[in-house]
Amino acid sequence: MLSRLLRQFLFALLHLILNFIVGAQNVYCRYWLKKHSLQDYEVTKTDLKLIVKHIPKLSKQPKHLVVLSDSDYHSIDDLARMVIWSLVAGIPFLSFYDVSGQLSYQEEKLFNAVEKNKKGVPGCIKWSKKPDLNGYTNGIPAHKIVVNIFSCQNGRSTITQCIKKMCEEKIPYNRKSDQITAQEFDDVISAVYPSIPDPDLALFSGPVCCTHGLLPWQIRLTEFISLSVDYNLSVESFVGAMYKYSKCDQRFGT
Amino acid sequence: MSLWIKENCVSFFQLFCIKVIKTGRVPQHIAFIMDGNRRYAKKNSVDKSTGHHKGFDKLSETLKWCLDLGIPEVTVYAFSIENFKRSKEEVDALMELAREKFQNLLDEIDQIDEWGVRVHVAGRLSLLPEHLRSLVSKVMLATKDNNRLCLNIAYAYTGRDEISRAASRIIDGVKENKISPENIDEELISQSLDLGEPELLVRTSGEVRLSDFMLWQISNTVLYFTDVLWPEFTIWNLLAAIIHFQRNAPPIKAEDTNETAHEKEEFLKYLEQRRAQELTKYIS
Repeated sequence: MLSRLLRQFLFALLHLILNFIVGAQNVYCRYWLKKHSLQDYEVTKTDLKLIVKHIPKLSKQPKHLVVLSDSDYHSIDDLARMVIWSLVAGIPFLSFYDVSGQLSYQEEKLFNAVEKNKKGVPGCIKWSKKPDLNGYTNGIPAHKIVVNIFSCQNGRSTITQCIKKMCEEKIPYNRKSDQITAQEFDDVISAVYPSIPDPDLALFSGPVCCTHGLLPWQIRLTEFISLSVDYNLSVESFVGAMYKYSKCDQRFGT
Repeated sequence: MSLWIKENCVSFFQLFCIKVIKTGRVPQHIAFIMDGNRRYAKKNSVDKSTGHHKGFDKLSETLKWCLDLGIPEVTVYAFSIENFKRSKEEVDALMELAREKFQNLLDEIDQIDEWGVRVHVAGRLSLLPEHLRSLVSKVMLATKDNNRLCLNIAYAYTGRDEISRAASRIIDGVKENKISPENIDEELISQSLDLGEPELLVRTSGEVRLSDFMLWQISNTVLYFTDVLWPEFTIWNLLAAIIHFQRNAPPIKAEDTNETAHEKEEFLKYLEQRRAQELTKYIS
């Protein structure tokens, strides 16, 4: 009885100490960031200079970047800045994964925020349901980026629909043996998704790494890298994440 | 002395710490991507085969820790279909290691039953050499009634392959009128897969990807990546992962009280029977 009370006390104490340490870290970070960050809503020249300075040096860059975004913590302007940074960094495909389910309804707002932030930045931003945003070069290389928004409807739900249609013979599929192979199923799945490469890199923020249902079929080799522990999206953390990604060594099973 | 569950590897102090952590919420299903055996071998200038043997020893220690923590289900990624691309020498050595260990398990079946460990091997078993397939099936049938800890070993497995095989079973089920398309939903697919949903996934050796492991199942799993190499994984690394889980896990989902459609239940029972028949076929 006494030993059980002692264990419960120690358990509560352990978590209390951890809460205190994490809380102190958060306060320090927030104070530090408040002191040194630029509070502008728009992408600044400093942001772009930082990206242009560092990104071309990297040996490896993602072709398709996914940002796990949570409307409870990330503002539309935060996400709009990510689009511009990714454009300048030369990432061809950028997707937002809508964790809280609200981003899909705010696509118009996001589009407008991106348009505002893009002024003066060269390159072309292609949206699935909106007009292209073009620009002219002025010393910064002009890239093209395709932006998509995914939600959990695009994950298990889409795979389930695929299987249903295969059962109803509404979708043709190959089946050479008793059990369908991953390649044969991939041929079916690829037809229902936009033809973009699988995500190489998924950036998340917050204390925990969780996919929240992100595109299960497509994330088999996706690297998960943290942007920040406190949901803050800064250009420094973006560049830092790109550095970490460039050091990853994919062995593909061998 | 059991080879699969390493007894006497926990000191009094470690057991005390386990008991303290156990006071809180402990994940009901942990998955491990046991990465780093070959890098460990290189670091310690031994051959890869020794690295893999050390990796197995670490698995048996980890199983003991999980038993002490009261974790009812553990899944480990032992061999991916992609690993068949490695040199013939290494693949043969890994198959031989598996053969040796599964044979050991059968030899010490009484101790395994005493520990209450149920072994399930998930993967495309048709890719395994016949003798290994037969051994694996014997092990699964021999331990199927144990219920203290369920150990799932993903062997000749990838997440995509698992989803494809579940799709096959469901399509065949519709053809044989065991299930109708209206009753196909995410829940049915989850139940038709080989593996359940883990609450915590731990990957060692510093890699931060899933490598085609449990792609469907990890939608709500806490992913924990650690730099330590698998053969060097300690009880403290495991406890740190569990503390991280305790601090950050999503709240426990309330049980779905809606009754599952009768047809779905019957179909799932039918799949169970088919699996058992397949295993019996592999043995003979």
